[in-house]
Amino acid sequence: MKNKSKYIEVFIKSLSIDKKKFSEKLKYNDIPEWDSIGHMTLMSGLEDAFKISIDTDDIIDFSSFKKGIQILKKYKIN
Amino acid sequence: MKIENNIKLWSSLGMRATFGLIAMELAKKHPELIITTSDVSTSAGLDRYKNKYPDKYIDVGIAEQNLIGVSAGLSSEGFKVISTTFAPFQTLRCCEQIKVNLGYMKHKICMVGLASGLVLGNLGFTHCSIEDIGTLRSIPNISIVVPSDPFELFKVLNEAIDYKNSVYIRLTAGANSKIINSKDYEFKIGKAVEILPGNDVTIIGCGNILGNCLEAASILKKKNVQCSVVNMHTIKPIDHEIIRNITSKNKLILTVEEHNIIGGLGSSVAEVLSSYNHNCKLVRLGINDFYSSGGSYEYLKNIYGLSVEKIIETVLSNL
Amino acid sequence: MNLKKIKLFAKNIRKNIIFAAFKAGSKSAHIGGALSSADIVAVLYSDILKIKKKKTLDDNRDRFILSKGHACLALYSALVEKKILKKKELETFESDGSNLLGHPIINKLSGIEFSTGSLGMGLALGVGVALAAKKKQKKYKTYVILGDGECNEGSIWESVLCASHFKLDNMTIIVDKNNFQQTGKNSSIMDLKNLTNKFKSFGCEAIEIDGHDIKKIYKSLNKKNSKKPKVIVANTTKGKGIQMFENDNNWHHSVITKSIYKNIIKEL
Repeated sequence: MKNKSKYIEVFIKSLSIDKKKFSEKLKYNDIPEWDSIGHMTLMSGLEDAFKISIDTDDIIDFSSFKKGIQILKKYKIN
Repeated sequence: MKIENNIKLWSSLGMRATFGLIAMELAKKHPELIITTSDVSTSAGLDRYKNKYPDKYIDVGIAEQNLIGVSAGLSSEGFKVISTTFAPFQTLRCCEQIKVNLGYMKHKICMVGLASGLVLGNLGFTHCSIEDIGTLRSIPNISIVVPSDPFELFKVLNEAIDYKNSVYIRLTAGANSKIINSKDYEFKIGKAVEILPGNDVTIIGCGNILGNCLEAASILKKKNVQCSVVNMHTIKPIDHEIIRNITSKNKLILTVEEHNIIGGLGSSVAEVLSSYNHNCKLVRLGINDFYSSGGSYEYLKNIYGLSVEKIIETVLSNL
Repeated sequence: MNLKKIKLFAKNIRKNIIFAAFKAGSKSAHIGGALSSADIVAVLYSDILKIKKKKTLDDNRDRFILSKGHACLALYSALVEKKILKKKELETFESDGSNLLGHPIINKLSGIEFSTGSLGMGLALGVGVALAAKKKQKKYKTYVILGDGECNEGSIWESVLCASHFKLDNMTIIVDKNNFQQTGKNSSIMDLKNLTNKFKSFGCEAIEIDGHDIKKIYKSLNKKNSKKPKVIVANTTKGKGIQMFENDNNWHHSVITKSIYKNIIKEL
């Protein structure tokens, strides 16, 4: 993924977490910051950063950092 | 917190989840804040608040009459209380407690009615609220505010918490609600906002349904009908001045609300119009005093004439 | 405990109740239910409640809530005895513009904590006030008097569950159980059966006493409780203290004429 560093940065900023708390294994609800509100903040952050509009189904399916990479491919973010 | 960034996020979250975020900010500013609920935390976006401020959160369980009494007791001892549960239960189940504690004894409480209007229509009308404004209007000492979007909710809560009397705040729509206010603006309880200027017709709305009003106005403009759209966020005390200004210019007012046309915004405007001479016709759009079969939010808006198409149709047929 | 002093206090409460009801004349008054509460109110106001006449707004005062609002003559009379209200004010009972109406109107300066009268609401206020004490780490105690008929209201039980859940041991509920409500006996209208057991099963420390035995009232109010709200179910007689009123439900809400007043005042 070319945009990986940008993607990681959005995670860290949207979820308001320390770089140390971040890991590529991160999943929804793994940490208190990635609750339903954190999730919507993350989706909003990704939409702004990559100038896309994410479908509701994809918002629901976006269950982990890794899954997110797959989903973003649909929106031509590699 | 940059305002514009928040507006987009808050609208995607919807009013309920945004309420939870705002509560976190309020707790920092107001050390005497206590939020009381009847078994609703997640539904009010309050999970984070509950975890961070457990001593500022009291859940009395599914017991709304007790909720109001306990909230009033706390308020009488100097706490700033915000109570919340779903709108029908927040207003009707404990209506007499609201009358006696908030109206008669003037204990100050902010009541936040979640998911009012038609948004939970798929759960049936026990979970919709089309009577709350009408019921509370007849109790003295309670102001009634219907924020148009989550950004407005932010402004309402910040003013209501220190307002002179109790305030009922009626939340409408769900996640991905329409953005009505895309830039910062001046907000004051009791002062309506003209969100779109125009000359022929005025659409006065309250709540997120204003999104449909704005869309209808934009389509009507192409048909050469200039609609102004007014956000009458405060039903009580209603803004008399803006209504008088409207009737001095226009011949038609359309009120639009997710509430019975008896008792709510439309009735309030009608009361003002009946108190002086003017040449304006009033048409009230809303729930026409019947409970339809349940269904999605969109389905119900259509049945009750609150869809964009029906609003346009109503304007055109009354010109 | 000064038994003589409390007994005199109770007698004066009864005198004041009858006096005010007589002054109200044809407007009539809730008499029976005030008289049944008189001894409980006497013990509270003469010896238990930390309430002082010039310090009615003191943040550390004990809070007394008459949820059974129609017994207000007992409250007003006690406030007169404590010199918080003047006897002259009692004469304005139920008259136009008066602060002393047929149900209490909130007036903390005059020692009236809340407007009650719509039955079933005072206990929730008590819970809120007791919770506030816990939160502010204040030592004041909260006392709520309920009627037995009032226990028909579901809202009472919402509040009882809540008081128990939040372990409000700084709160005492006293039920004036005179066995009557407006239309007749509790047992025929809506039978409460074993009320004390009901409170126990809701998580309260509940006991039953003779509601006219001053010593027992005093002892039960002073008994220590912990982690649970205290409930005292006081068995009383409606109209207690005036022979012709006792257990006669016609005196729930009625008129004391001049001749009746002349007769009954002799008993006190």
